[in-house]
Amino acid sequence: MLIIGENIHIIAPPVKAAIEARDAKTIQAMALRQVEAGAGIIDLNIGPQKKRGHEVMPWIVEAVQEVTDTPLSLDTTNFAAMEAGLKVCKKPAMLNSASADPARLDSVMQLAAKYGARVIALTMGVDGIPTTADGRAGIAMEALLPAAAAAGLPVQDIFLDPLVLAVNCNQDVALESVEAIRMFKMMADPPPTTVVGLSNISNGAPPENRPLINRTMLVMVMGAGLDSAIADPTDEAQNEFIRIVEQRDESTPMSTLVVALYDAVAAMEELDAAAVDTSDPEQVDFYKTYRMLCNEVIYADSYLRI
Amino acid sequence: MTAVEIPVEKWSGTVRDVTLGSSYGGGTRTSTVTVGGETALPFLDFEGALPHRPALAVEVVDMEPADWSPELVAVWGDDLKDPAKWAARAVAEGADLIALKLRSCHPDFGDRSATDARATVDRVLAAVGVPLIVYGPGTADKDNDVLVAVAEATKGEQLALGLCEEKNYRTIVAAALGNGHLVIAQTPIDVNLAKQLNILISDMRLPLERVLMDPNTGALGYGLEYTYSVMERLRLAALMGDAMTQQPMICTIGEEAWRQKEGRAATDVPAAWGELAERGVAWEVTTAMTLLEAGADILVLRHPSSVGVLREALDDLMKGA
Repeated sequence: MLIIGENIHIIAPPVKAAIEARDAKTIQAMALRQVEAGAGIIDLNIGPQKKRGHEVMPWIVEAVQEVTDTPLSLDTTNFAAMEAGLKVCKKPAMLNSASADPARLDSVMQLAAKYGARVIALTMGVDGIPTTADGRAGIAMEALLPAAAAAGLPVQDIFLDPLVLAVNCNQDVALESVEAIRMFKMMADPPPTTVVGLSNISNGAPPENRPLINRTMLVMVMGAGLDSAIADPTDEAQNEFIRIVEQRDESTPMSTLVVALYDAVAAMEELDAAAVDTSDPEQVDFYKTYRMLCNEVIYADSYLRI
Repeated sequence: MTAVEIPVEKWSGTVRDVTLGSSYGGGTRTSTVTVGGETALPFLDFEGALPHRPALAVEVVDMEPADWSPELVAVWGDDLKDPAKWAARAVAEGADLIALKLRSCHPDFGDRSATDARATVDRVLAAVGVPLIVYGPGTADKDNDVLVAVAEATKGEQLALGLCEEKNYRTIVAAALGNGHLVIAQTPIDVNLAKQLNILISDMRLPLERVLMDPNTGALGYGLEYTYSVMERLRLAALMGDAMTQQPMICTIGEEAWRQKEGRAATDVPAAWGELAERGVAWEVTTAMTLLEAGADILVLRHPSSVGVLREALDDLMKGA
């Protein structure tokens, strides 16, 4: 599982302040912390930066490159900022992101091809995000992958992102993202790479519940064939779940249940309730979260309490 | 002709029975109203039990409403000036219970005191034997003040107190808890928030047999379909066994239906709209019938004719149940 570290994000007040003040030290410390925690790519979200994006992106790229040679993901809608960042990247970079907006799709793909960058391609059209897996797969097949091919990008360099929606608003379609990942992996040989913005699933949920929702969802999308996630690489419980799945560690009752969920999703089956030891609160919460993500019980902020 | 076998759905969950009006003893009510208990979707009596018919409440306000539809003003006449008379007439028109609104306690509509509110509730209790729903003025501070006083003064009457919302539920639930009353939990047309408020109320140890759920109603043409979807989803979850959605649902039909143009405008409307009297009742009844089909257990109505029409409809719908 490739983790694209999401912590350098303009929405975080310290990041916003550091970018405004061109405070490289703060950004560098955040980058290093994510690298140490295992991030394979560092995402640099500078926001749209309509006026100064072409200055901000090269500045932040160079600041981070001073302390690490981990590849960087240039996360902005500002095309000029993307290109200015690519010019100073020492390693092949990633562009975050392209969508099926005809006004921009080809130019972002061509930019990626010119600089040998990978691209996160969102299954979102000008009319928004389709709620069904079929609708998202349709955008990938009809718009995103053809545009990448036309630009000469290898299909593995396209990171298809189904756009995970928050479970507290769109509970009935949470599983559609999981199924979309499964469909993406069957679209070509070799297949495109898959990615999710993982924490979107728990957006709006109480902060203390978010990590469990995130890592339970992660096991499910991994079961469907997920290759990478834009996520917090410093979330240790999440990293532990990834390790359990990747090593198929069935050494504890909890890790056995995690592997069972992964296997169930991979086999397109339901997780058997009999696999849960109801005397173990950790297993019970994990199972409740799974059932909630499957839309089998209605989400409420206190869903774990009942 | 080939016989068609009607598929029958079997559900595992049951909506809770909720009873208003002196069932624990100590109150002065001469009748009780029990709603809920369903083990099937509305009126599908061949799939499960529908032990209680939906109840019809009539809304009574503690001050003459200045903004009501001319049709309602005409039909109730001077009864609008006296909540006790109004309530007695509503019972005579067929109301199973009275929903009393303490609007005059609102800071913008008279700001009357909690003592005044208690006196009004006493007068209405004396005028009718049916159970009472009591709504506070609808501002958190004043609701807390007024509803706590009323709850204490009416111990044993087993009133339903409203509205209990996320911002004030602690005070209202505490008042109900200590005095044997019920609460009406209202959330803004949202399944998740409705369930969450039930969890919060239950955390305060108020038995869920004393909680009605108000999913917040939109009238025909004004969001009715959203209310329908939310109620349908809550009821399906209840029948599938989700314990925190198994509350009977109450809908404030009259308030929504009669504040829309269709329930108010007598002139300057297309001829095809017809007379206001008939149209307004049709609007209220259509809104009510739709939400009955979505699982409504208590309908709060405004027009006496609507009470009559719905009583007849329920007689038909409940045949065999």
